Amino acid sequence: MGIRQTLDNLEPHFHKGGKYEKFYPLYEAVDTIFYSPPSVTKTTAHVRDGIDLKRIMITVWFCTFPAMFFGMWNAGWQANEAIAAGYDSMGGWREMILLTLAGGHDAGSLWSNFVLGATYFLPIYLVTFAIGGFWEVLFAIKRGHEVNEGFFVTSVLYALILPATIPLWQVALGITFGVVIGKEIFGGTGKNFLNPALTGRAFLYFAYPAQISGDSVWVAADGYTGATALSTAYQSGMAALQDQYSWWDAFLGFIPGSVGETSTLAILIGAVVLLGMRIASWRIVLGVFLGMVAMSSILNLIGSDTNAMFAMPWYWHLVVGGFAFGMVFMATDPVSASMTNPGRFLFGALIGVMTVLIRVVNPAFPEGIMLAILFANLFAPLIDHFFVQANIKRRVKRTAVVAEETT
Amino acid sequence: MSAPTTKGVILTPIFKNNPIALQILGICSALAVTSSLSVSLVMSLAVIFVTAFSSMFVSLIRNHIPSSIRIIVQMTIIASLVIVVDQILKAFAYEMSKQLSVFVGLIITNCIVMGRAEGFAMTNTPALSFLDGVGNGLGYGFILMTVGFFRELFGSGSLFGVTILETVQNGGWYVPNGLLLLPPSAFFIIGLIIWVLRSLNPEQVEDNEFVMKENTQPKEAV
Amino acid sequence: MAQGNNSIKKILTVAFSLCIVCSIIVSTAAVGLKARQERNQELDRKSNILAVADLYEPGMDVGKEFSQAVTAKVVDLETGEYTDAVDPETYDGFQAAKDPAQSRTLSGERDVAGIGRQEKYSTVYLVGDEENPEQIVLPIRGQGLWGLMRGYLSVQGDGNTIGGITFYSHSETPGLGGEVDNPRWKAQWEGKEIYASSDSMDPAIELVKGGASDSTEVDALSGASLTSRGVTHLVQFWLGEEGFGPYLEHFREGGDSQATASASPSDDSEGV
Repeated sequence: MGIRQTLDNLEPHFHKGGKYEKFYPLYEAVDTIFYSPPSVTKTTAHVRDGIDLKRIMITVWFCTFPAMFFGMWNAGWQANEAIAAGYDSMGGWREMILLTLAGGHDAGSLWSNFVLGATYFLPIYLVTFAIGGFWEVLFAIKRGHEVNEGFFVTSVLYALILPATIPLWQVALGITFGVVIGKEIFGGTGKNFLNPALTGRAFLYFAYPAQISGDSVWVAADGYTGATALSTAYQSGMAALQDQYSWWDAFLGFIPGSVGETSTLAILIGAVVLLGMRIASWRIVLGVFLGMVAMSSILNLIGSDTNAMFAMPWYWHLVVGGFAFGMVFMATDPVSASMTNPGRFLFGALIGVMTVLIRVVNPAFPEGIMLAILFANLFAPLIDHFFVQANIKRRVKRTAVVAEETT
Repeated sequence: MSAPTTKGVILTPIFKNNPIALQILGICSALAVTSSLSVSLVMSLAVIFVTAFSSMFVSLIRNHIPSSIRIIVQMTIIASLVIVVDQILKAFAYEMSKQLSVFVGLIITNCIVMGRAEGFAMTNTPALSFLDGVGNGLGYGFILMTVGFFRELFGSGSLFGVTILETVQNGGWYVPNGLLLLPPSAFFIIGLIIWVLRSLNPEQVEDNEFVMKENTQPKEAV
Repeated sequence: MAQGNNSIKKILTVAFSLCIVCSIIVSTAAVGLKARQERNQELDRKSNILAVADLYEPGMDVGKEFSQAVTAKVVDLETGEYTDAVDPETYDGFQAAKDPAQSRTLSGERDVAGIGRQEKYSTVYLVGDEENPEQIVLPIRGQGLWGLMRGYLSVQGDGNTIGGITFYSHSETPGLGGEVDNPRWKAQWEGKEIYASSDSMDPAIELVKGGASDSTEVDALSGASLTSRGVTHLVQFWLGEEGFGPYLEHFREGGDSQATASASPSDDSEGV
């Protein structure tokens, strides 16, 4: 019980009148990482499960691990392959770390790939955590509440949907925007109607489009331009895409893209845990999936001579771009998604349909899942409202009693 | 409300009762024209001019305006002034009027102008109404210039067209923020300005629309 | 407000006199400033033309310089010959494209630039000697990412080397496609060549990603592949057979232009 004792010894300093009264949120945050919070609901009306919010968030965090570790390997592998093909490495301190730990660029070596990928991903993650955490703690102290553990998840999700080569100052700006504008302005975790990680990503997407999209940003080798599967399909058609990558490549994740989004398989492993523990709503996931299948099938049927994306079948939509990642980790964010069960289906379907529409029909944005989820976030309260109203009406009809005035 | 004073009508609309930040009027043009400071400046001047003179003219004839057609009368005066401003800009500041395009014409629909004519000029003297129009135009201009400052500086690296931060496209170091070149970014900036203004003047904060019931307060578990 | 204001008589009087006063003010402003406004528009157009021919300097007398250096001529796009059918001073090709009598419909594959209708005659601006111009400024337009882009392209006297390009009206994304206005990007057009070889009629000039490497390539706008594609298409369209190709042929062949000009543009019909 060493940790408990240390924490207990420290605790008085953070209470009212103590030396570090202002920093109580920090103390609380550390404490509850190790132990259940002292105040949990125990009355029957609320208890559904013994788990608390922090445990949920940590579980989600663990669920991103397959995608994260695969992503690091893949980022390194893509870069090593390109360097083996004659491109220069990016050099700098990353090169030094690589040489010290792994001895050099070797696309065949698991370790070399992993280390190289990690030299890109870990700084992104650290910057996200430090800057985002700073804002989180600042607002917690200012407003006198605890640090919300939601940030734990926001930070890792945000880091995973960035390309490996993004400049770190952009990472910092993006997470600042995501946390402050996407969340804290509205009162913090639980009151944000947008997914903060996606808000940050969307900010970067519109603010620095040349740096975060395009073809040269995905692979960490100097001058190498490797289009993502999506933009290949968009520019040259499905045939070109299939020449370049097989479906299995895309499913397993051997394609360029944002760090965490490439491997559909790794994401699905996380999904199984999330759905199995009933942390993520299966209704939302199913809704997104069905919406995507339906919309892409319709577009397949319509067909188009000029737009190659019309021909992309649903099983390709599933494995390219950030679709799988968004479906499993972003759409299921409990705060910004719909809360009613039928509403979740509708919310999910809206995301699926919009993703395909944006991917296929819109001329400017090859990736659609990010915008689709943000769009659906805006509609979530409305969707809930209608289902709640419908429910009230049905109940009134059934009992033939006028509902108690709710004002 | 106490009787309006000369100083009061000019100064209160800038911080205390800003038409954009508190009354949330005239947002659309604030989004559209603020990507560069010089355009914001011309737009602000145009709005100050129109608001001041329309208020003055409305006030001049306020005792003769039949109440049944008063809105139409105000609109006619405002619209005439806007057309005159538009024509003058086209004749003497062609470049500027090209950039402002339809937004000069849309001053007609700017609720600030109409709001001052109906809300103030109909019941006050011409001189005071004129100043009130200037004040509200200044309040509008203050927000426009602030938004324009941030958008031009961080979106294009310049102020009034003079390069401050050398952008990457021109061989410098500054990577311009493309979001700020897009009109929606003005929403964020106006939102942040409102945040600052309301932190400084807490009485501007509206009451909660919904109040949580007492018994839903989280209680310490026993 | 006095009660008497609401009588019918008063309402009519106020409305009527207000209308009179306002319309006098408005029409005075409109009529009085009209000449000046038109001159502004004219000057704006002229300075764009001078700018693309690299003759423009801030503060210069645009009108004077334009009348000295530039001659406007109207070209029949189909034959590539000058025509007297319309007056170059007043003719507006962009307006004419909307008039079925003066234009033709483009559809499908022929409408590379995405303009829908193309005028039969187009105004060109010759810089220097009429017979043997230093530069030829051609009006171009076509679809970008979000809308129509309109501009001028200047070609040097050899009918092959580009002098400059400018877009005076477009709605591309600021910072991305909007970089068509960037002087550094525009500057690299100078000296590029339109056609890959002297006997080719197909313009080879295009925007390429990741750095232009030869004389018919221009750097694409970074992060704006669709705007870049639009620019490539519209430039190729207007310099190709459907556009000014037959006309430029005169200059490329030098002296015996007439023979080739009458021989080449025969395939496409007019009544489309």
